[in-house]
Amino acid sequence: MSELISSSIAEGSGNLDLEKIFRWFDLTEEDRACTVELGELTDDVGEHIIEAFYAHLLNDETAARHFRDDAHIAQVKRGQMRYFRELVSADLNDAYVADRRRIGSIHERTGVTPTLYIGSYAYYLNRLAHVVLERMDEDPHKAFHLVMSLFKIAHFDMSLALETYVDAREEAIQARERELSELPTPVLQLRPGLLLIPVVGTLDSHRARALTVQLLEGIQEHRASAVVLDITGVAAVDSAVANHLIQTMAAARLMGALSVLTGLSAEVAQSLVKVGVTGEALNTAGDLQRGIEMAEQLLKD
Amino acid sequence: MQHPPDVLVQAIRYDTDVISARQLGRKRAEELGFSRPDQALVATAISELARNIVVYADQGEIELATIHQPDRVGIKITAKDRGPGIADLESALADGFSTGNSLGLGLPGTRRIVDEFDITSSPGLGVIVTVVKWSRR
Ligand SMILES: Nc1ncnc2c1ncn2[C@@H]1O[C@H](COP(=O)(O)OP(=O)(O)OP(=O)(O)O)[C@@H](O)[C@H]1O
Ligand SMILES: [Mg+2]
Repeated sequence: MSELISSSIAEGSGNLDLEKIFRWFDLTEEDRACTVELGELTDDVGEHIIEAFYAHLLNDETAARHFRDDAHIAQVKRGQMRYFRELVSADLNDAYVADRRRIGSIHERTGVTPTLYIGSYAYYLNRLAHVVLERMDEDPHKAFHLVMSLFKIAHFDMSLALETYVDAREEAIQARERELSELPTPVLQLRPGLLLIPVVGTLDSHRARALTVQLLEGIQEHRASAVVLDITGVAAVDSAVANHLIQTMAAARLMGALSVLTGLSAEVAQSLVKVGVTGEALNTAGDLQRGIEMAEQLLKD
Repeated sequence: MQHPPDVLVQAIRYDTDVISARQLGRKRAEELGFSRPDQALVATAISELARNIVVYADQGEIELATIHQPDRVGIKITAKDRGPGIADLESALADGFSTGNSLGLGLPGTRRIVDEFDITSSPGLGVIVTVVKWSRR
């Protein structure tokens, strides 16, 4: 491992195992040494390539939409120069990774698609490779090696950016999921003593606890003695979810309210019985109408 | 890392992945002509195994494969993780055993509702559960 590469590992790298990633990209100290040799060349021709690149970019309607005015273009070009200078010469360490991820997330947020990003990158590399081959025509073998090393690092670089895309989407999904799970579950009084609680989303232990608290408060507030728990909106009912429902219904019973579960399809209910779930949790009434009737019966008894 | 075309893989990490895996399985069972109750059993088995991954192993994957035979068609569900593993398999397969304060029905229940059931685990190396559900043609 090269000094620059291993020193970055010594610093520790958050949750990224850089050493492993370098092995995966077959990225060695030699590769870095090669691209550093390209440093001068990229400085020399970088500007020229970037000019050509922007001409290419602004030709494309979707790509051009990302630029407000000439000042903005000039600013982005400067950033691009820095980006590519770092590509050939910066230490591949945590700071590098963090910076690339930061840029990646800016791209993601501003709507630079993977197609646009990878396409731009490919254009730049392609141009640069040609220049390298031209300038080093006395030693094409060496030129080829330099270019291949550059490609390895570029691929590593692209992977960093694209991971941020995936992370951002994942983060968005989880955030929405959290928001949904933190929405208070409505507790509806159908008539004196009878509550209806529609449960939607997933029912993990955290949510189940919140649901139990809301149910108990509802029972107390409305002096309810019967509750219809409608789980039509719960996507995956298995033994773990059944367990949460059983706990919730048992808590309600301790507060003096009996519960009826609705919204479980007959097939899923049958599956749960075969799995071994028994008792009150499966004291189910197929549809809501039946559930309400059952609960009203409980009120009378 | 190539899979044959009829193998579906769902990475499991969050509750939402449990739902995705379950839906994939139900859809596949439906496509293969499983009865509605059997579709539900396939979905339930996937749910149990995927849920265990989320709760006990943090992350892993569910793989669904189709097995075609002259007189029957099957869905093979493989649940894999690299979590802490299960030290005492016999207990884990007994009704009511749970280290998660739950019903302890996931593994034994899954075993009851499928036709073939196999589990291997080594402490520290994760768990692999493979089950098959058949449907007669
Ligand atoms: N993938 C896994 N990794 C580690 N331990 C597991 C895994 N799956 C199951 N176990 C262990 O086996 C026990 C039994 O699992 P099982 O699914 O039967 O019950 P449970 O998950 O505790 O409860 P339930 O599934 O009824 O909600 C678990 O409590 C846990 O200790
Ligand atoms: Mg379980």
